Amino acid sequence: MAQPTPIYIVASPRPRVGKTVLARLLVEFLRASRRPVAAYDLNPRDPVLAGYFPRLVTPIDIADTRGQMMLFDRLIARSATTRIIDVGYGAYDQFFAVMAEIGFVREARRRMIEPVVLFAADHAAITVRAYADLRRDLPDLTVVPVHNEFVSVTCDKDDFPPTRAACRMLRIPRLSQMVRGVIDRPSFSFGAYLVATPGTPTEIHDWIAGIFAQFRELELRLLMGTLAASLAGGSGAGWQDRERM
Amino acid sequence: MTKPSVIVVGADKGGVGKTTVSRTLLDYFTAHHVPTRAFDSEAPKGTLKRFHPDVTEIVDATLVPDQMKIFDTLSNDESKVTVIDVRAGLLSPTLRALRDIGFLDAVKKGQITFAVFHILGSSLASLNEIEETAPFTVDARYFLVKNYVNNTSFFEWDQATHAAYFNKLKDAVEISIPKLNEMAYEQVELASVPFLTFVANKGTNGEAANYSFVLRGYVRHWLGNVWAEYDRIKLNDIIGAAAAANGARAQAARS
Repeated sequence: MAQPTPIYIVASPRPRVGKTVLARLLVEFLRASRRPVAAYDLNPRDPVLAGYFPRLVTPIDIADTRGQMMLFDRLIARSATTRIIDVGYGAYDQFFAVMAEIGFVREARRRMIEPVVLFAADHAAITVRAYADLRRDLPDLTVVPVHNEFVSVTCDKDDFPPTRAACRMLRIPRLSQMVRGVIDRPSFSFGAYLVATPGTPTEIHDWIAGIFAQFRELELRLLMGTLAASLAGGSGAGWQDRERM
Repeated sequence: MTKPSVIVVGADKGGVGKTTVSRTLLDYFTAHHVPTRAFDSEAPKGTLKRFHPDVTEIVDATLVPDQMKIFDTLSNDESKVTVIDVRAGLLSPTLRALRDIGFLDAVKKGQITFAVFHILGSSLASLNEIEETAPFTVDARYFLVKNYVNNTSFFEWDQATHAAYFNKLKDAVEISIPKLNEMAYEQVELASVPFLTFVANKGTNGEAANYSFVLRGYVRHWLGNVWAEYDRIKLNDIIGAAAAANGARAQAARS
C-alpha cells in the first residue's frame, strides 16, 4: 500500500509561543531521517524560519492570491518531499480560511497527501477558541496539539481534544535558561548536535531525543490510522462531497 | 411532454454581470441534467456563446425572425429550459415584445413557465428599472438579482428607498450572487469555458487543462454558493427539473 506524504502545518494563532522552535525541530527531525524536506515561511515580514534554513525555506505572502497559488498549487502537487509550513499568527486566519474554501484537505487526500496541523497549544483563551474554531471549520483535518512548556507550564488537555484518537498531545519540555540560549543561536542544529554527541546524556541531548521520539511515534500513529482506514474500506477522509460538484 | 420554461436574464444597464448569471444558470441545469438551450442577444459579440457555444445561439429578441426562432420552437425543441440573455438596455423592450407576440398570454394560461432574472446595478437608477418592467412580469416568477461577483461597487440604496421599490413587487424574490476572487474570475475568462468545466480542470474541447488548484477551488466554492441561492428559490421545482431530467434520460435510452 502506498504511504501518504505528510504536509506538516506548524500553526499558532498567537505570537511568541515557540512555533518556530517547533518548526525547526521538525525540519531537523526529517533531515536527520534523511528525507527530502521543503518548507514555507508564511511570515513575510519576519521570516525567522527562513533565517535558520535559507536554502530550504521559501518565504511566501499569502495575503494576495498569487502567494496563495504559489503555496497551495505547489503543496497539492504529488511529491516525495515532506513539506513544512510555518503559519504565524499574522497569516493564521487567512491560511485556514483559504484552505477550507478551496477544499484543500479532500483534494490532498485524493492525491495521497496528508495535511497534519501541529497546533501550538497554550492556556490562553484565544488559543483555546482558535483550536475549537479550526476543528469546526475543517472537521476532517488532522490536528495535533503541541504543548510547549517554554510558553506555559500548564495546559489543559480537555481544551484540546484530539481530532483523531491516535493524535494525542505532543509535549515540548522546558529547558533551563542557560541551555535555552544555546539552541536559539542561528547556527545551532538539533540534528548535528545529536550526531556530534551520540549517547551523551546532556540536557539538550535528552531534550532533542525525546522530542524526535514523539515525532517518530506520531508518524507511526498516522500511518497506522491510514492502514486501519484502508482496511475498513474508506479513505480515512470521511468527506461527503456534494454529488454534482 | 413537460411544460417548457423560459428564463429571461436581463438588466437595463450594462456592466452588472448579467452574462455571468446566465452562465451560472446554464451550469446549474447541466449539473441537474436538464436539457437547456440559450439565446444570446448580445449580437454580434455574444459573450454567452463564447462560454457555452454548443447550446447558445446569437439572436436579436426584438426582431420577428429571431422571435420565431426562439418562441415557435418552444414546444418542439428537446430542451426543457430556454435561457435568454438579453442585451443591456433591452430588457423592457424585450418584455414588451413578449407581450405583443402573445407569449405573456400563454404564460398566464399556464402553458409556459416564465421566470425573469433582473440583474440590478448598484445605483438608484437601477431601481427605476423595476417600475418599467413590473407591468410585464405579473405572471412571471420575478427574481431581483444583486450581483456582487466583481464587488466593484456597493449597493447605495438605503433601507427605506429599497423597501419603497421592492414592496411594489409583492412576489419578487431577491437573490444575491456573492463575490468571486478576481484572479479566479479572470482565469475563467481567459479559459473561455463554463465555470463547471474550469472546476473540472478541462479545456474547451474537454481536454485536460492545467488551471491553478487554488483558483479552481475559489470557483467551486463560489459556484456552490450561487447554486445554493438557486436551490433556495427552488429553481428546479419552478422549471419542473425532475420531470425534464427523467424525460432527457428516457430520450437518451430510446436513441
